[in-house]
Amino acid sequence: MENEKNNKLLEIKDLEVRYRSGGRSVHAVNGVSLSVDRGEILGLVGETGAGKTTIAKSILRILPDHAIQSVSGEIIFDGEDLLKAKNNRMTAIRGYKISMIFQDPMTALNPIMPVNKQIAEGIALHMGVSKREAIERANKMLETVGISSDRGGEYPHQFSGGMKQRVVIAMALACRPDLLLADEPTTALDVTIQAQVLELIANLQKELHTAMILITHDLGVVAGVCDKVAVVYAGEILESGTKEEIFDHPKHPYTKGLFGALPDLSKKVSRLSPIDGLPPDPTNLPPGCPFAPRCPKATDECRQGAIALEALNPDHLCRCIHIDE
Amino acid sequence: MMSDKKKMSAGAEELHESLQPGSFKYIWRHLSHDSGAVVGMLCIAAILIICVLSPYIFKYDYSKISMIDKNALPSKEHWFGCDELGRDIMVRVFYGARYTLSIGVLSTAISASVGVALGSIAGYFGGRFDSILMRALDILQAFPQLVLATLVSAVLGPGLDKCIIALAISGIPGFARMMRANILNVRGQEYIEAAKSIDCSTARIITKHVIPNAISPIIVSVCMGIASSGLNASALSFLGLGVQPPEPEWGAMLSSARNLIRQYPHMAIFPGLFIMITVISLNLIGDSLRDALDPKLKD
Amino acid sequence: MSRYVTKRILQIIPIILVVSVLIFAIMSLVPSDPITIIMSQTSATAEEIEAARDAAGYNDPFLVRLGNYLKNLYLHGDMGKSFKTGSPVFKDLMSRLPVTFRLAFGSILVSVLLGIPLGVLSAVRAGSLSDRMTMFFTLMLNSMPNFWLALMLVILFSLKLKLLPTNGIGGLEHYILPVIANSVGAVAGIARQTRASVLEVIRSDFVSTARSKGLKERVVIWKHALPNGLIPVITSIGGFFGRLLGGSMVIEMTFSLPGVGSYMINGINNRDYDCVQGAMLWIAFIFAVTMLVVDLLYAFIDPRIKAQYAASSAKKKAKKEAA
Repeated sequence: MENEKNNKLLEIKDLEVRYRSGGRSVHAVNGVSLSVDRGEILGLVGETGAGKTTIAKSILRILPDHAIQSVSGEIIFDGEDLLKAKNNRMTAIRGYKISMIFQDPMTALNPIMPVNKQIAEGIALHMGVSKREAIERANKMLETVGISSDRGGEYPHQFSGGMKQRVVIAMALACRPDLLLADEPTTALDVTIQAQVLELIANLQKELHTAMILITHDLGVVAGVCDKVAVVYAGEILESGTKEEIFDHPKHPYTKGLFGALPDLSKKVSRLSPIDGLPPDPTNLPPGCPFAPRCPKATDECRQGAIALEALNPDHLCRCIHIDE
Repeated sequence: MMSDKKKMSAGAEELHESLQPGSFKYIWRHLSHDSGAVVGMLCIAAILIICVLSPYIFKYDYSKISMIDKNALPSKEHWFGCDELGRDIMVRVFYGARYTLSIGVLSTAISASVGVALGSIAGYFGGRFDSILMRALDILQAFPQLVLATLVSAVLGPGLDKCIIALAISGIPGFARMMRANILNVRGQEYIEAAKSIDCSTARIITKHVIPNAISPIIVSVCMGIASSGLNASALSFLGLGVQPPEPEWGAMLSSARNLIRQYPHMAIFPGLFIMITVISLNLIGDSLRDALDPKLKD
Repeated sequence: MSRYVTKRILQIIPIILVVSVLIFAIMSLVPSDPITIIMSQTSATAEEIEAARDAAGYNDPFLVRLGNYLKNLYLHGDMGKSFKTGSPVFKDLMSRLPVTFRLAFGSILVSVLLGIPLGVLSAVRAGSLSDRMTMFFTLMLNSMPNFWLALMLVILFSLKLKLLPTNGIGGLEHYILPVIANSVGAVAGIARQTRASVLEVIRSDFVSTARSKGLKERVVIWKHALPNGLIPVITSIGGFFGRLLGGSMVIEMTFSLPGVGSYMINGINNRDYDCVQGAMLWIAFIFAVTMLVVDLLYAFIDPRIKAQYAASSAKKKAKKEAA
């Protein structure tokens, strides 16, 4: 179909997003660059408030207008810079080429519209089919995610949390998008349901050959599903690479810290080692490495200038000056 | 106004960091950094001060009849003009503030305390008292509030004290219902469960956990209640039921001005203007209080 | 659902019944009565007044009088007679109802039709100059006494510009100023509430979902944000109607409109208590029916509420079967 070189679906270059909060600017995303190939799954890992959701919403350009101060950089999707695209063009892309699964299924669905109608809306819009045909396809889509099509006419409050998330997944995948943005799709669900839903997403992703950016704070989820991983901290990517590289040879002290805070059943450890301190205030970021205030290896040099993302090998980038030590 | 407000509340947020939300200091910080609330408080304070000091500030007495100045138009001597008996309207308007404000504050204080007590008992203990109270409120609320107040004051007759009672009674159902709903809501929260689990006494749960959490919406409605009760008081007096002329209550003044509106429209302007300023001020303070007490509602 | 509707309609009956008892009880607390008032103006002696009171039944025990009142009211549709004019209260009120209907329902119609779009526009452009202006003016209009606004409108439109009649009854033009004066506060109130509620919905997750589907902003607002944002507004319309109904009473007095409200106020001023009782009852009835309609509208729009009723009736059924 297409040759290997042309496989790049999404490339983000130097994305910067600033919110405005009462006269002060919040540096939510600070120069993030990443890329996703067709059919590939990138895991975006980081703590709450690290800017992961903002990255995803900037790709779809659905950031809340009233709170945005500035968005800059490039988001090249299929050869087209989305940040420069016209609104009409964006509505054609949303839901058709790129779609999104939101974190909380409880609030992500319109409470007063039957679920199949909510799914059908996108289908009718992008596939150019009649409303009836769209409803039929929506019902079929419900079957695909494991909900009986008889329930299509029901309202969101009639479904459990896990079922609602299935509806949201059906909605996101209804038009077979090229890229799926999954924002913590399992965080709000019961632990027992999480695995099922994750498996469903992964299976459908393979079936439809959809690329995916999976946002999560759960390294276990990343290990199970992703091809590539990017670790986000205070709006910056601190380390990225293939899953194997990151999991087997984590280099950045923050990444190592994340693994240290994870229970490992194969080792005998009496106590987990959490990372001390809190993420920096996004309205007042420290100069230099944002992790420096919490980093055990930090030196004066870390606290001075910005630190570049260096390639350790073609599959592994890291933003730290103390890697070799 | 909006962006101002945002700026203000953000400024307030900085200051809030060290303060406990819900504490008096916190609320005060918020109010004093919200331009709307500051304007409201200044207006109310100014009206109150001038009202109290009016005998010393103005050279006319609010009840002094002067036939020479009968129906005088606004002038340098009489800024707001004079009424049909030659009384200075400005003096009367400022003096009259005491009626609207005291009726508003007292009647709301009564309806809030009775309503909160009834609503708390009904909400916390439920059972028969709750269902009887709810049916009784249904009946009282079968009348629009102003109509209920009219009915009660028709029975009690005219006068300041009776007007207060009429408005207080008509305000009870709203407070009782609201408090009951708040209590039911708080009672279902997990921290109450948590308090019970550590063997907290019922009295302590009610006073330390339930009431503080259920009361904050009430504080906001008290402020708004003073405003609407002041409005209703003037309506009652306008209808001839509340405070009676010659007392310079704003509604009563409008009622007599109405008869002369063809010849002397100036008499009708100022009392109404002051009702409006007072009510706006109270509403501004109420809006700001709501933001301070419930950060969720902030936009 | 139809069972819920019937149940809700039947609920009005006991309320009106108790309300009529309450009104009668309250009015009987008044120390004086029409006969005493009339006769004390003549040269009648205390004994003669007492005899007349006996004859009219004023000295009967409370329960007997209440029984007679209820019997006349519900069996014969008799609300008594105005002692001032001698005409039956029921007939008086029937001729006055249309005026109050036009005023109150005209006002709520204007309030909803202007208030909701105003609030929506404000919410969609939150923070803009037009939004801030709207918020400022609605705050002002919401804080104005309606009778004062009525006087100001009369000064401007009737006395200065001579465009509209100052008072009295007649064609449609007689209702323009009263309806404006009465509804301005509610327009402002509904607009403010609509704005707050739509604003909250616009920032909610499911609106982001709708956007992420690629729907046009217009569709997102009209099909997703508005229907949800308006639910709380609809529930509050009943309350606004109460305010307008109370306001109608004052406005009828201001414009000398012969409606139910002015009938009641005149009754109070003349101590003509049959008139007051009758008018009160009608106001309570109109209010109850309107609240019912609002409730049903609400249940009709929000599937969650509809489901609640379905669930509660199902639960009851299950309980019955278990018993």
